[in-house]
Amino acid sequence: MATPDLDQRDLSAAATSNRGDRVFNRVITAAAFIALLVLAGIAIFLGAQAVPVFQKLGWSFLTSTAWDLTTDPPDVGIFGMLYGSILLAVVGLVIAVPASLLLSIFIVFMAPRKLASVLTNAIDLMAAIPSVILGIWGFYLLNPQAEQWQELLNKYLGWIPIFQNESGNFLGTPFIAGFVLAIMVIPITTSVTREVLGRTPPELINAAESLGCSLWTMLRYVALPYGRGGIVGGIMLGLGRALGETIAVFFVLKIIYDVNWYHIIESGGGSVATLIVSRFGEASGPFEVQLLLAAGFFLFLMTLIVNVIANLIVSRTGRMKK
Amino acid sequence: MSADVNTTLFDATRLEELQQQKPYHPWRKRTSRFDVSVAIAVIVPVLIVVALLLLTDLPGALILVAFYLPLQLVAAAGAAIATKGRRGVLDSVIMVLAIGASIFSFVVILSVLFSLVVNGIRALSIPFLTQNSTYISPSTPLEYGGIAHAVLGTVLIVTISALIAVPVGIATAIYVTEVRGRAVPYVRFFVQSMSGVPSVVAGLFILSTLILTGALQTSALAGGLAYAILMLPTVARTAEEVLRLVPEDLRTGALALGSTRARTVFKVVLPAAKTGIITAMILGIARVIGETAPLLIVAGKNDATVVNPVSQPISTLPVTIFENVAQPYPDAVTRAWGAALVLMILVAVLFTAARVLGRNKV
Repeated sequence: MATPDLDQRDLSAAATSNRGDRVFNRVITAAAFIALLVLAGIAIFLGAQAVPVFQKLGWSFLTSTAWDLTTDPPDVGIFGMLYGSILLAVVGLVIAVPASLLLSIFIVFMAPRKLASVLTNAIDLMAAIPSVILGIWGFYLLNPQAEQWQELLNKYLGWIPIFQNESGNFLGTPFIAGFVLAIMVIPITTSVTREVLGRTPPELINAAESLGCSLWTMLRYVALPYGRGGIVGGIMLGLGRALGETIAVFFVLKIIYDVNWYHIIESGGGSVATLIVSRFGEASGPFEVQLLLAAGFFLFLMTLIVNVIANLIVSRTGRMKK
Repeated sequence: MSADVNTTLFDATRLEELQQQKPYHPWRKRTSRFDVSVAIAVIVPVLIVVALLLLTDLPGALILVAFYLPLQLVAAAGAAIATKGRRGVLDSVIMVLAIGASIFSFVVILSVLFSLVVNGIRALSIPFLTQNSTYISPSTPLEYGGIAHAVLGTVLIVTISALIAVPVGIATAIYVTEVRGRAVPYVRFFVQSMSGVPSVVAGLFILSTLILTGALQTSALAGGLAYAILMLPTVARTAEEVLRLVPEDLRTGALALGSTRARTVFKVVLPAAKTGIITAMILGIARVIGETAPLLIVAGKNDATVVNPVSQPISTLPVTIFENVAQPYPDAVTRAWGAALVLMILVAVLFTAARVLGRNKV
């Protein structure tokens, strides 16, 4: 049964001829722009706090790695934290991306239907675990476990620069924090890649299989190229989440006001989000709160850019499919 | 893309090589040779690893990663060659890795839930669930004090944020699916970008706009506003998905009967999507209920029970966990686990409710 194809503009024109509807339309439209208002508000209000910080400290706020308010002018900068955020996110993604891809390939192409739905539900549940709970789990359960793994990594692969550890302290390392981040990123990335791979047209898959393609060949030449945009977008969404995560990282990472360049199994690191939480409780005065708000501004900018790119990629691949 | 497929499959220089390969007959019945190879591929690596575990004193994690995984990959590849020829090798490698990734995620989830139950159950008691923490310090024994004030605080803040974010979120969804103004793509884009705002930034935003300017105190209302920022995108996106499922015929039918657009939305579309809208609300609440960072910044903590949403700081479950973790006193740590268990139970109830409702939406 086909419904007549109504021109939507006619409908809304008819709707706005009524005064009640005009009010309704205005209220709804106003509400719809609250999201934009909030985004702009965050940029303006946090940006306004960053201006006096820059006037006082100049570019050293972005290039210094110390956090010392006792000197005059204060030697304060978030470079180590900005770099730390990226390092943690990279460690997290190195674990999460292969895991998510394998999980979604398994769910979409390999697992029996029952197992696939159990696995999907399990991963959704994983996404629902609050980060504070992953933090306490990471602190008490993962930390001692991961300490052993890292000692082994250091013992057998210590000749690789990233597995060096001079202090002998394997607790509170970027590796552990990245591992916890990976657990948060996996559900996000998996749900996007699973959906994208699941939308591969069955006729393409059937054609590949009838040509004698093995599963790998089908993935390599049909499913993965077809879903490439969505997969990249899903990874970017995961990256945005990893950059902004606060509490779980705060629990498991030992925060140092210095740059840990690449020693991922050496104790100590940082991220902008954890800096804010760790300093906020003991902020020495209005200026330090202002510094933290300015740091929040850069965190917001960083995650906003990543998310905008991710959403552009995901929505563009979505359109291509129609 | 299609050119790639062709060259891979019909490359003339590889023809001879392909001809030498054992032909693959997927239509044939599974042979005993297949079963035997798979059985060997599964059993042999396990036997070797068990022997290693018993005979050497290498750590289990090392054996698992450095011996079991490579062995299993080699065994699976061997079985693939025996049954399907060389082109089965990569398939079996993916199979082993994919099963490994699935087991990994199950292990992580079970480990988190199991540790919550084992460590949290010791804290659970009637006083723990009914008392507040006035006069309680980290070193106070477990028999005294509880988290009732924190549960109340969480409920209060989540209620405030739902009162703000749910109507706005549904209105945003109505704009996208019902009003369908010119700005639809932009509105969707802003909502998606908003879902990426880190929770700590939402807290800082409320701090800089309302608390530092003196408009509000550190309070439940401030916490609720910060939560609302995080809840809005989830509600808007889920509600949009549900409203899309309402058949277009219902809308045109209502309009044809002379109903105005507003009446159509309130009397036809929203009632038709009722369970879906409730699901959107539940998912929004589940999204924010465990967020800690914004509350540390704008809601603070308070050992006493607070019911006034604007006058004073208020404790919540996540902040209670935050305060008690990493204390040198075992009883404080047990309290943190207990609060975490209560929080996880709340999340699990919401999660299940959303699932049950979502099954028969619209």
